[in-house]
Amino acid sequence: MKVRFELNEAPMEIDVAPDRRVVDLLREDLRLTGTKEGCGTGECGACTILVNGQTRLSCLMVAAQLDGARVTTVEGLAATTAGATIQRAFVEEGAVQCGFCIPGMEMAALALLRQGDAPGRECIREGLSGNLCRCTGYTKIVDAVERAGRDLHAGREEQ
Amino acid sequence: MSAVLTPARLDEALRLLAENPAALAMAGATDLLVRRRGAIPGHEPVLLSLAHVAELQGITEEAAFLAIGAATPFSRIIADPLVHRYAPLLAQAAQTIGGPAIRNMATLGGNICTASPAGDSLPPLYLLDARIELASPAGGRALPIAAFILGPGRTALEQGELVTRILLPKAPRFPRERFIKTGRRKALAISVTSFAGRARLDQDGRIAEIRMAWGSVGPTVVRLPALETELVGAPVHAATVERVGLAVHQGVAPISDLRASAGYRRLVAANLATQFVEALGG
Amino acid sequence: MSPREPLQVGRPEIRYDAAAKAAGTEPYAADLYPENLLWAGVVRAGVASGRLRSVAAEAALTVPGVVRVLTAADVPGPNRHGIIHRDTPVLVDGRVRHAGDAVALVIAETHAALRQAIGRVRAEIEPLPAVFDPEAALGEDAPLVHEERPGNILLAAEIRKGAADQALAGCEVVVEGEFSTSMQAHIFLETENGVARLEGDGTVSMTVSSQSPFRDRFEVGAALDIPYDRIRIVAPSLGGGFGGKDGATVQCLLALAALHAGGRPVKMHWQREESMAAGYKRHPCRTRYRLGADRDGTLRALYCSLLYDTGAYAHLGGEVMELGMEHAGGPYRIPHVLIEGRCVYTNNPVAGAMRAFGVCQVAFAMESMMDLLAHQLAMDPLELRLRNALVDGDVNCAGLPLTTSTGMVGCLEMLRDHPLWRERQAWKDGAPPHARRGVGLAAVFNASGYGGKVRDAAIAKVELNPDGRIAIHNAVTDMGQGNACGFVQMAGSILGQDADQLELRQPDTATAYPSGSASAGRTTYTFGNALIRACEELRQRLINRAGLLLFLDDDCELRLVPGKVIHPPTDREVPLSRLAAFMPREDRVCISQFVAPVCRQVPDTATGFFIGFPHVIFAYGAHLARIEVDLRTGLIRIDDYVAVTDGGAVLNPCLFDQQIQGGVAQGIGYALMEEVERREGCIQSESLATYLIPTAVDVPDILSCRLSGNEATGPFGLKGVGEVAMNGPLPAVANAVADACGIRLRRAPFTPERVLLALEEQA
Repeated sequence: MKVRFELNEAPMEIDVAPDRRVVDLLREDLRLTGTKEGCGTGECGACTILVNGQTRLSCLMVAAQLDGARVTTVEGLAATTAGATIQRAFVEEGAVQCGFCIPGMEMAALALLRQGDAPGRECIREGLSGNLCRCTGYTKIVDAVERAGRDLHAGREEQ
Repeated sequence: MSAVLTPARLDEALRLLAENPAALAMAGATDLLVRRRGAIPGHEPVLLSLAHVAELQGITEEAAFLAIGAATPFSRIIADPLVHRYAPLLAQAAQTIGGPAIRNMATLGGNICTASPAGDSLPPLYLLDARIELASPAGGRALPIAAFILGPGRTALEQGELVTRILLPKAPRFPRERFIKTGRRKALAISVTSFAGRARLDQDGRIAEIRMAWGSVGPTVVRLPALETELVGAPVHAATVERVGLAVHQGVAPISDLRASAGYRRLVAANLATQFVEALGG
Repeated sequence: MSPREPLQVGRPEIRYDAAAKAAGTEPYAADLYPENLLWAGVVRAGVASGRLRSVAAEAALTVPGVVRVLTAADVPGPNRHGIIHRDTPVLVDGRVRHAGDAVALVIAETHAALRQAIGRVRAEIEPLPAVFDPEAALGEDAPLVHEERPGNILLAAEIRKGAADQALAGCEVVVEGEFSTSMQAHIFLETENGVARLEGDGTVSMTVSSQSPFRDRFEVGAALDIPYDRIRIVAPSLGGGFGGKDGATVQCLLALAALHAGGRPVKMHWQREESMAAGYKRHPCRTRYRLGADRDGTLRALYCSLLYDTGAYAHLGGEVMELGMEHAGGPYRIPHVLIEGRCVYTNNPVAGAMRAFGVCQVAFAMESMMDLLAHQLAMDPLELRLRNALVDGDVNCAGLPLTTSTGMVGCLEMLRDHPLWRERQAWKDGAPPHARRGVGLAAVFNASGYGGKVRDAAIAKVELNPDGRIAIHNAVTDMGQGNACGFVQMAGSILGQDADQLELRQPDTATAYPSGSASAGRTTYTFGNALIRACEELRQRLINRAGLLLFLDDDCELRLVPGKVIHPPTDREVPLSRLAAFMPREDRVCISQFVAPVCRQVPDTATGFFIGFPHVIFAYGAHLARIEVDLRTGLIRIDDYVAVTDGGAVLNPCLFDQQIQGGVAQGIGYALMEEVERREGCIQSESLATYLIPTAVDVPDILSCRLSGNEATGPFGLKGVGEVAMNGPLPAVANAVADACGIRLRRAPFTPERVLLALEEQA
């Protein structure tokens, strides 16, 4: 099946089995290995991507569902102000240890920060509650998202 | 490899379903694709995606009821002003399902058709007198939810039928409404016991009407209609609370499984109910 | 453009690997999909005990795309692997000892074909009696998991100091308790995986998510009769390890597959369910304690008996128990001690190495006992601990005189002064209706290094590249603990360079040098010490060669700054790239080594110990948990958590806190929700829906306080802190629950159900 979608703001067309898991399509067929698989059952969030601006779990999606959609993966973050701000905050706040959860965390953070004003820590924890991390204990990840929220808010105010 | 059919309209979806009787209807796929992991590759049934079927999307207000399209994801339900106006209990429950991404994917129709004893949307739907609207090539029908869900993983859905909308009668809200879910951790947890309650008091502070439903303590959602009747006119004091606790403890029929024992579920089911009734006095 | 500044130790320098990981470009082993690859996957026994009669592959071979179905008959060599005891079959050739035992190995063109074929392999296994309870395993009539191991005992050992039985009889106060801890799973997000290929020259090369690439060669080589130097292993950044990737997981299977793949690369990636079924676990443990003291709280005597369930194969079971025994008395002075330990085989999943191995089981018991004692004496639990805490020069419970840094007292004092401890009563009084609040403490410690009789050494290689950048050839896996960053920071500070001028290469057995595994909290300490020497040598050499290039009569004014060597008196400089062009390859490489200090006077207290005793360097910690218990559901919510840690000098405060916060979170999971559920040896909690670890809403902000100190033997004065924090949460929460509700929880994890049922019993 030919699936046509927008990937990280560029048009994409791929001939693929319609029921191929999106996480496999991204990692193996498109060689975009930034999106990770940690469980395959939607419990860990490592495979989180944005579809039409909303977070989705790519391990529980099939290729046919991408047709006509606007998809963002971690590889597309640096090109946007919000994405780049989030990445810088994760790096500078010490939120990265083994790093395997980080792409998914960043996607969840992006969706959260796009919802409105800079969120507080409780709200951040709720927003990240679908993304498991085994290394950090979450504290510095929350620090990073909190800071990214402030940075983005300040950036918006400046404009 | 199996085909994924993506109809844009209901009549097309029904036709495709009739032509592919073994096809699995798929909306958010959060339960379906997990179950598929255990399936033997090469023998997977055709998938019928309902995500683009117009008639199954969205939330509309009709004269007598609120209609929620079966393929509406929970995040949309949580955010919708109509839901907050007419069925806030459902929004409360939806907020506890999975995590943020799961809520963007999982749908109300999917949760109902999976018919898990632990389905979080179900206790509120029972209390809201939800009716399940079904369509087939032969026509349409609607069933009360209690008649639609028959047992764990079993519904009254017949071959060739699709759930189209969930209808919630527009009725005055109860002043006190609460949904509580307990699990083995705070987030992303399959419910160990859940509780939904709606109550109103008369001008003397006695219970005028109370409705309660429990999840994960029986093969389907548990109601205790005799208790509900008994409580009409009861004052909200310690004796009433104790009576409720005892009745619930005896009335629910949980099993022991990987997540919890039957004994624990009984205790918690009773405690959640007594917590609700006690709070009515506050 | 801002001036370049060299990296400095002691500063929270940004992690070297953070940018690539934040961009999703860091290549983990899981991210490798070589051209023309084949997929390999395992057929597992599915029953806990039996005899393999036959394996029928015909049906599997009819699946299009299936290349081979391998069985034990296809395994060259002894077909046994293991870190110390080579007791684990690569593919079962007789006895099945646990449900995850590998029975056949399938190789296929696609993942779908692989899964289909695995489902069609028919293994005929004749069931044999099994034993799942470790106490039952000790019984006379218990079925033997290994014929050559009577009583199912892997190791029975004792630590005896003074005369505990007599001393206990004479104590003014004695408290008793029995405790049990669960089987915990590592749940690294990147499951076990790797890619292997048989090269044209007969080398088996593989890239594996492994904590022990150098040792893996011996494990694989011995199992498959391949000389170790014909095996090349590369270990990139791991998506988590925590001990579960220490020792062969996929390595022997991958090598076997590579031998039968016609030169094509073979990839294996265990799905989460398989990682649960076949991966290593933490030893479940049962302990019995009797602790005696004077009325004033001075500890006098300890008797304890420890039972560790090692599952079907040895892995590091004996060493786990030994380390637990060494820590069983806690970080305290106790003159009379009798510690009995038994590590037994069962047909349960294999228990191996997991962060704080052996220790977190006994920390639960001992720290619970301390609070029981404090309660009995009506004494403040923190004061009781302070009274007995080890200081430099004391003899610890294992009989070792402490000659290295011992910061236990400092940690407890810092905790005592913390507002969360001082203001605890007011906080508790604010509990809402239907909830109770409590505050609990734990004093913990954890040795680092391998211990006696095991070589704990490293060899570091640094190299000035032609482009002027300096490469550090790391030899100890970075599984997220950040040793790569630590090494870059050390090198940068010695060589006067910034991160841009440095490059860190992750372990490759072909180009780095054997330096032991990434485990035992040793990597930054041991490799760091070797690295310091190598960098010092390189620094001197670069200065000397620059002096030669500049034709100076005296090198002492030459200095290294980012990118170059400078001579301020004459304002001349030599860029490192120019210096590199001037030096032949052999001149640009510096290799140096370090062997960790061993105990020169081994205490005579230990009997039955094999290797790993004693340890000489310990990290210490004092933890506090503030909790609220919901009386209606039994759910425990941790509102605040403080961990004060003595790790010697702090190389990088951010890295330090990362380790502590992560260890605490894993400890919280261990305390509240993690338990591998089994029935008849088969794992029931096979997915992350049923095996729960904490999410972001299940843990509070974890406050890490660093005691300032110095470990004279450590690189820049540091000690390893990778494990110690793991030991605090379970006892701290147990003590907090006792404080809140008056119930003493003895069986971990403290699920809401266990808590509620304990409350009901109390009522």
